[in-house]
Amino acid sequence: MIVPVGTIVGLSAVLFGIGVFGFLARRNIILMLISVEVMLNAVNLSLAGFSRHLEDPRGQVLALFVIAVAAAEAAVGLGLLIALNRNKPGVGVADLTKLKW
Amino acid sequence: MTLPIATFYYMAFASVASALLAVTRKNPVHSMLWVLVLFLHVAGIFLVLDAEFLAAVQVIVYAGAILIFYLFVLMLLDLPGEEAGPRFGNHWPFAAAVGLSFAAIAWLARIETPDPVGGGVAPAASRIAVEGPPPGNLSEIGMALFGPFALPFEMTSLILLAAIVGSVVLARRRAAGS
Repeated sequence: MIVPVGTIVGLSAVLFGIGVFGFLARRNIILMLISVEVMLNAVNLSLAGFSRHLEDPRGQVLALFVIAVAAAEAAVGLGLLIALNRNKPGVGVADLTKLKW
Repeated sequence: MTLPIATFYYMAFASVASALLAVTRKNPVHSMLWVLVLFLHVAGIFLVLDAEFLAAVQVIVYAGAILIFYLFVLMLLDLPGEEAGPRFGNHWPFAAAVGLSFAAIAWLARIETPDPVGGGVAPAASRIAVEGPPPGNLSEIGMALFGPFALPFEMTSLILLAAIVGSVVLARRRAAGS
């Protein structure tokens, strides 16, 4: 074991925190979705670290599933975004108040 | 400090820095490019962790497909006033607090993981024995993917099919009069 697993999990935690901050703070929907990708990448990192630590390939298989779900999420999210943009140009979350009661 | 560890620390710092830049840049295209840097560095960390296949998938699928898709949509929408407005909402200190506290909690939770031999976290008993040339983890992943994970693997294709159909339905322009 060259890199201790705690270091990798710590790095993953920091990246996930950055992703959470980006998702909550940005006003641009595309950048919010990209922050979700950053979070998913952090999770993949910890999965790969645990896979290395436990010497078990199952962690990497789970990371592959996460990547597939991320691709699906990007497709659906951007499809929604294009549909939204057709009705009302702009990608600011503050402008989307139609569903607000 | 040996070379792999130095490489790991370089890539760790570079990925944290590029993630921070990605969520704070004003120009969305610059953000995307910093996320590209982040993805490539994470692929490098995967290489250090002996996950070569994951690194290749990271570069091909994440950096090559997903990120280009995002960039494509970003340029398709052509946002004129995007750089003029504030990049963060008014609640950004709250968001920073949530992100920081989450990172702190997860950081504190990274206890010394017990050895897999003595009372491990997960049973490593179901390791898949691979015959033939052992080096490389691709054969191990393939055996796991088509062995114990065969059903989830097939379900993934359903998820992707649903995503394809869903995005086509969502983004389709309604035909006139229907």
